[in-house]
Amino acid sequence: MMGLGSALQVTNLRYGFSGQAHALLDVPSLELPAGHSLGLSGVSGAGKTTLFHCLAGIAKPWSGQVCWGDTDICALTPEALAAWRRQHLGLVFQDFHLVDGLTALDNVLLPSYFGHWRVPPGVRARAQDLLASVGMQAPNRLAALLSRGERQRVAFARALLLQPSIVMADEPTASLDPEQRTQLGDLLVALARSQGTTLVVISHEPDLLARLDHNLVLHKGQLHARTSQEVAA
Amino acid sequence: MTVFNPFPIVRADLRRNQLLVWVTLVLVALSVATGIAVISQERALREGSARAADDFDLLIGAPGSATQLVLTTVYLRPQAIPLMDGGVLAKLSAAEGVKYAAPIAFGDNWQGHPIIGTIAAFANRGGTLTPTQGRMFERQGEALVGSDVPLAVGEQFSPAHGLHHDDDDDHDSEEHHGVTYTVVGRLPARHTVWDRAVLVPVEDVWQIHGLAQGHDPHGDPHIGPPWDVTRLAGVPAIAVKPDSVAGAYRLRGEFQGGRSLALFPAEVLNELYMTLGNVRDLMSALALTTQVLVVVAVLMALLVGFLARQRQFAVLRAMGAGRVYVFSVVWLEVVLLVTLGAALGTALGWGGSLALSHWMQSELGFALPVRLGAAEGVLVGGLVLSGALIGLLPAWLTFRRSIAEGLVSA
Repeated sequence: MMGLGSALQVTNLRYGFSGQAHALLDVPSLELPAGHSLGLSGVSGAGKTTLFHCLAGIAKPWSGQVCWGDTDICALTPEALAAWRRQHLGLVFQDFHLVDGLTALDNVLLPSYFGHWRVPPGVRARAQDLLASVGMQAPNRLAALLSRGERQRVAFARALLLQPSIVMADEPTASLDPEQRTQLGDLLVALARSQGTTLVVISHEPDLLARLDHNLVLHKGQLHARTSQEVAA
Repeated sequence: MTVFNPFPIVRADLRRNQLLVWVTLVLVALSVATGIAVISQERALREGSARAADDFDLLIGAPGSATQLVLTTVYLRPQAIPLMDGGVLAKLSAAEGVKYAAPIAFGDNWQGHPIIGTIAAFANRGGTLTPTQGRMFERQGEALVGSDVPLAVGEQFSPAHGLHHDDDDDHDSEEHHGVTYTVVGRLPARHTVWDRAVLVPVEDVWQIHGLAQGHDPHGDPHIGPPWDVTRLAGVPAIAVKPDSVAGAYRLRGEFQGGRSLALFPAEVLNELYMTLGNVRDLMSALALTTQVLVVVAVLMALLVGFLARQRQFAVLRAMGAGRVYVFSVVWLEVVLLVTLGAALGTALGWGGSLALSHWMQSELGFALPVRLGAAEGVLVGGLVLSGALIGLLPAWLTFRRSIAEGLVSA
């Protein structure tokens, strides 16, 4: 087991844009045990991305607490929050967001440069192992030359490089073709489980959501539980 | 404090945005090169022209334009200047505190090389110059050539009338039939227009033009002083070597009057430099304006580029990069581009200035020594510093932008 997942506890989370009277997001309570996986779904505009940003410490809520383990990330300063993300959080985006001017391997290594001048010993080997484990055959190819499937594989490896206790993915398979969707969805869940990380995924893919431990749906900024039948539908 | 390394992103960004990189480099380089060329050329012209005047401590001519006298005598620019009474030469030659008073007589050329009639004391600059080949002229009919004159020692040639060679002007180039000089020596290079000149005894020039030759034809045969004041022709200019600074000022005062004009060429040059300085200031202002415009254009281009990459920076921060990290990336990209462009421009300006000096030397006749000085350092340093300061703006905008805003930006 590499990373040990962090438990999530959200309390009275409210978020809205400045100048608005009503909150866009209102989550009185949300709990996720360490090492478990959570799927979030909902129609467009329901507040999925806003919740995602709040859970990742990217957006600051009006009020409430977002605790990962013992840390309330809403109380952290910007630099402390950056350090927390660097140490505990791996992110996967729908559009991968690789740096095109770097190779696949350098993209995976990128997070290590946020806190070090040189890649720490062992991290390069881990990056190569991760690329191999996601089936990436050409680690030295420029990211700009990779297919969409390859780019997402690299993004998965990058998210897991520093052995985060939490991995969050925003529509990780939405821009892939159906075959790759299933393949990479399986890969993401398998990787997270193998590393013991807590996984939060925003997705509309029933196949992917069905593999997760818990599923919630957001509707007008509020969370509702989903049954496995609802997920499968 | 967190240690980090922004260079992988900087390198990747520069590699990915090559068009922007090259446009920026070229604009900055051209701007710097122009500034360096203007400054170094102005300095080279000033130093080169001053060096050319070193051989003329005090210049005496007929009353008239001081600038014309300097240009004609020091720089051998072909202009007709009025003659001075020969008595001035005799008086100067006998004056106290004078090492030598050398007549400078023009009028002829050999294939475009001006033939100057003078005395041996001026030809060897009071004994400080030794011919690299042969010897000094010692009698009429002998010639001493400058280092750039394509005549060998022992070779003979006939002078043509006129101050310069002109194939289309038969009158100016009319040859003095029956007159022949023999080259007896070659002077070392002085890197002035005088390297192109042929020096002959002034008596030969006077004789060719049917003038008195300064000596009793039945007396002791010699060239140069002492002169017979009753047999001296008019001379256009006299180069005087005083034996002291005080003597120079005294002589200038003594010979500045109705019969003659006495001047220090360095003083005339100073006035020219003041005018030149104004031109330099104007050129410098233009170069500075160009640089400001270039920096603004570059900044705008970079700003647009950075705004287009706000999402990338937001992603970096979402992944754990601190605000200082993205600030460093943006700032370093600007500083690197400006510094590289400035370095390229320095090399370009330096090379261009050298080439320009080489070409101008053949046009002006004196060497233009190009070197990089403090002014160029200020120019380049100022640009790099400006770039570093201006680069703070996009860096600060990126620093301040929230991650959430950046992630949803196009």
